[in-house]
Amino acid sequence: MASPPPRRTQTLTIIAQDPSVKVKRKNPATDEEEEVILTARVDLPAEELAPGPRGYRVQIIDYDSTTGILYPPLEYRVLESGLYNDPFIDEPDSTLLNDPLFHAQNVYAIVMRTLARFEFALGRRVSWSFNGHQLLIAPHAFTEANAFYSSRDRAVLFGYFPKPGTEEGTTPEMVFTCLSHDIVVHETTHALLDGLRERYMDPSSPEQAGFHEGFADIVALLSIFSLPKVVASIIDKNKNLENNGAAANGTTKSGDPESISLKSLTREALRQSLILGLAEEFGEEMSGARGKALRRSVEEWLPDPKLITDDRFLEPHMRGELLVAAVMNAFIEVWVNRLKGLGHRPPPPPLPPLPSLRMAGEMPNAPADEMPDTLDEMPPSERAMMRNLENAANRHKQQEFIKKRAEDMPYTYEHLDRQRVVEEGANIADYLLTMVIRALDYTPPSDIQFCDFLSAMLTADREIRPDDSKYKFRKNLLDSFKAYGMEPTSKGDGAEAGVWEPPDCEFRYNRIHLESLIRDKDEMFRFIWENRTALGLEDQAYTRVLSVRPCVRVNPDDGFTLRETVAEYHQIINLQASEMKHLGIKKPPGMRDTQEVVLYGGGALIFDEFGRVKFHIRNRLLNPERQTRRLEYLWEYGAFKSEMQGVDAARRFSQMHRKRFGIFPIEGEKLENDNYVEKDHTRQVEKP
Amino acid sequence: MTTTSKKTTRAKSKSPNKSRSNSINKSSKPDKLTLRSYQMGFGDCYLLTFHYGAAGRHVLIDFGSTELPADAPKDLLLQVANDIKRRCNGKLHIVVATHRHKDHISGFATNKSGTASGDVIRECEPNIVIQPWTEDPDARTDAKRAIEVSPGKSVAFAKTLTDMQAVAEMARNAASFLSNGGQNAALAAQLAFLGEDNISNRPAVENLLEMGRRGRALYVNADLVNPLDLGNELPGVTVRVLGPPDLTQSKEITKMRSKDAAEFWQLQASAGKPLREQAEPLFPGVAMRSATQLMPPHMRWFIRRMNSIRGSQMLEIVRILDSVMNNTSVILHFETGGKKLLFPGDAQIENWNYALAEAKKNPQFKALLEDVDLYKVGHHGSRNANPKSLWEMFKKKSPKSSSRRLQTFVSTMEGKHGHTKDKTEVPRRTLVEALQSQSNYFSTQELRAEDELSKAFTIDLR
Repeated sequence: MASPPPRRTQTLTIIAQDPSVKVKRKNPATDEEEEVILTARVDLPAEELAPGPRGYRVQIIDYDSTTGILYPPLEYRVLESGLYNDPFIDEPDSTLLNDPLFHAQNVYAIVMRTLARFEFALGRRVSWSFNGHQLLIAPHAFTEANAFYSSRDRAVLFGYFPKPGTEEGTTPEMVFTCLSHDIVVHETTHALLDGLRERYMDPSSPEQAGFHEGFADIVALLSIFSLPKVVASIIDKNKNLENNGAAANGTTKSGDPESISLKSLTREALRQSLILGLAEEFGEEMSGARGKALRRSVEEWLPDPKLITDDRFLEPHMRGELLVAAVMNAFIEVWVNRLKGLGHRPPPPPLPPLPSLRMAGEMPNAPADEMPDTLDEMPPSERAMMRNLENAANRHKQQEFIKKRAEDMPYTYEHLDRQRVVEEGANIADYLLTMVIRALDYTPPSDIQFCDFLSAMLTADREIRPDDSKYKFRKNLLDSFKAYGMEPTSKGDGAEAGVWEPPDCEFRYNRIHLESLIRDKDEMFRFIWENRTALGLEDQAYTRVLSVRPCVRVNPDDGFTLRETVAEYHQIINLQASEMKHLGIKKPPGMRDTQEVVLYGGGALIFDEFGRVKFHIRNRLLNPERQTRRLEYLWEYGAFKSEMQGVDAARRFSQMHRKRFGIFPIEGEKLENDNYVEKDHTRQVEKP
Repeated sequence: MTTTSKKTTRAKSKSPNKSRSNSINKSSKPDKLTLRSYQMGFGDCYLLTFHYGAAGRHVLIDFGSTELPADAPKDLLLQVANDIKRRCNGKLHIVVATHRHKDHISGFATNKSGTASGDVIRECEPNIVIQPWTEDPDARTDAKRAIEVSPGKSVAFAKTLTDMQAVAEMARNAASFLSNGGQNAALAAQLAFLGEDNISNRPAVENLLEMGRRGRALYVNADLVNPLDLGNELPGVTVRVLGPPDLTQSKEITKMRSKDAAEFWQLQASAGKPLREQAEPLFPGVAMRSATQLMPPHMRWFIRRMNSIRGSQMLEIVRILDSVMNNTSVILHFETGGKKLLFPGDAQIENWNYALAEAKKNPQFKALLEDVDLYKVGHHGSRNANPKSLWEMFKKKSPKSSSRRLQTFVSTMEGKHGHTKDKTEVPRRTLVEALQSQSNYFSTQELRAEDELSKAFTIDLR
């Protein structure tokens, strides 16, 4: 007998959000209602796993460096279908919390799901930034309230720690960062973004520093909201509040579990319930500072174009939070607009107490005082019908009548269908997630600014899905960013606002081989070199092609594919501070003339399926205004100080996360250059 | 007034034979100052005696050590305490604990039998105990300044300091784990040193609190305008506090005082608990392999990396908390008989910034620093606690020896802390060179530990 065709996806159980998020359910054994951790089953690319699990992109190594202990690997049993058995379906909470093997599965599945999400959005494989194929994951890396990505160690490390406030003498309850969906996606996104745009970790500006954090937060939030179960749990919580309120007011519309009042689906209510609800559910101990950031973005940072110029937002985290606020605001806007089209059919009013109906057992279970006393209170058409039906022989007709009566109820817009509300929310989050990831290909490879990212999102989406009329994602993003004082970098191409403009010059293609161009860095370099004047490159600088990536993306509306090739190049020039003057770049006050400075620039080239340049998105190397701003920032923040030279990329993320708590590394912060007797602050902190 | 004097109850009665200074009144002026620098290895201990004719008033500034010199007697701290007691005739007027690092306060620790160095100091019944406002047991974590007293429920800032010290203890333990493995020896040594210096010295902290309770506790913050009210204890001496600034005075200090930061340290401290208490294994009943067994080949590289990350993570955190603690240092400025003395504890630039900025704005304040005659070198001569702009302000530094020349004192021990390679060695070579060539320089390293407990310097105040 032929074996079944190999399956392409595998389903595994994960904790939907974090262990503090619980839902009520009936225990199948005891039939009693209980509260359990909200879990979800997610689809991942199926693959051949070694014990760990260790797959083709991710390896779980459960070593704890605090205690020096190695926990056993998770090994899957193969089912007849050829898939792996998910050992944690319907396991009790105690297993989920206390079995390190489940922790391994949870973190493996979430990292793989995030990777798959990126690959789907970009239409190609996504590499890690380090030299290697498999990201190492330590689910219980150390006891510290921190988790971070370290490119140097090819790894993402998750800490654990006892819940603060545990009484002395009792065994403390542990908090595992590897069980928080948000934290796992956040860290994985750092790793993926670093693979796609390696220069975004360079010190450059508050926005570049804030981008890594803000982008990782956006992906984590949208990834959570794209799980319908999570959206449902938050909406239900909100609904319960609404019901309690209704009960207190003596209103009675609360009985219908499948509807939700439009009152709780306004823009403001959604912001409050969704983001704030999520913030509350980020258990204080798991990511207290994270929850606070979200809360701030709802309560304090309502759209206001002045925020972007406010001094408070020069701090990278705060700046990143603005990006999160602008995208999440657009998400809610799209959702609210979509909900306007949804209605809900309320249950029909109760029937009068006709003896035959009562006998038939169809009597709606409504309080007596709500029932019409006589048939006279019914509409005439129904009254006639009811009279006919009083005959017990027409029982099936009675049932039909009752059914039809329910179906004939007009849609109301006071209450919406809960399931549809949830589905819309999850779908919108999912699509927006695709949009933000896809935009990365359309961003400049260094010195990212939020306004660049906006233009990138608009262009990437316009290319794949020209018609924005259904969801109006682009319009809402544009409006939301504007409301936060951010205009797209590009004015637009005349047809649509904010998208990158096509290049306005002629390129030379005649010596280039298309087949090589879309795959080969050297061929791509040849194209760039031959066209260096048209591309506006600095030919004194060191130039390198960072990547050439052919990709195939599918238009969700018409199913046609979009083929593009994305290439990134980078330019570096080393100058003495005194040389910058004639280039129009201002030296920060106090910098020596002989100080060596390294300037960066670069661009992304998007080729169409015929190998012609569609877009050239770049930061010109010798842009005086940008370089002056960057140097001023670096100088002010002590990047030229010798202490900073030792800060490698690995430490930068762990530091960044600490900064969320306001814990600043002492060295390298904004201090005056006032350390005693240091003369040679020559090198800059940069990747080689 | 920015100083707080919450506990104003004096000790009930003082034995009359202990106060020999009856002849001193509020208008008295000291004619001479004796500064005694004790050999503490890596630590600080200075006894200042202001002479009013035959009578004297005694001020003890810091008393602690993280490591005694190799040739020092084991009971050095007790010997120093007894020496202090003898020299002050059993009565200290003022005790200053600049900040709660071990190398500044360990000598204040008491023991159950009442025979420790801290017990001896307590017997000297100091009238006043001066500490930074961050030590105020009632200052809220989110208070803007020392005066804002906690309503009881919220966490005191001192609690955050305690949490930080728990983290330091974790670092010290991590250091022993790292050094057991044989890898990362240098990292482990640094961790052990910083961990040791920062871990809680509860008996000392409590003794300081208690001495303050019995006499008068002053929790001080920078105030260049109003000197401390010490007229009863030190007539004719103006004592100003140049640091630490409080929240209303310094943005930098905000970093270490936000509520989030308090939470961070609490989390970190709680993270260290299972380690400190040797609690249950993380996952009871799960088969596991311990560090002493051979790990599977495919993970050896990663495990090595993880151990080293662990070490550097801890080191980084401990460095931050070390700096935060240093920056709680009280910077005291004494002015008497035309002489100016500066005792900055271990204050680093974030703490100094306030006073330096004020000095830039106001020539009167600037003169306080410019005219300094005697400078206790900050933080055992490390580069991060001796701002260049401060050094450049000192007018009395000079390559030539003269009676007016600046005097500098450092209490330090080489080879304990930092590395020449990255210019972090303590004392910093280039700084020592500058001090030696520009001032009358004294280092406790000149004292032979086995027979020289201290050295005294006399400064004429007439």
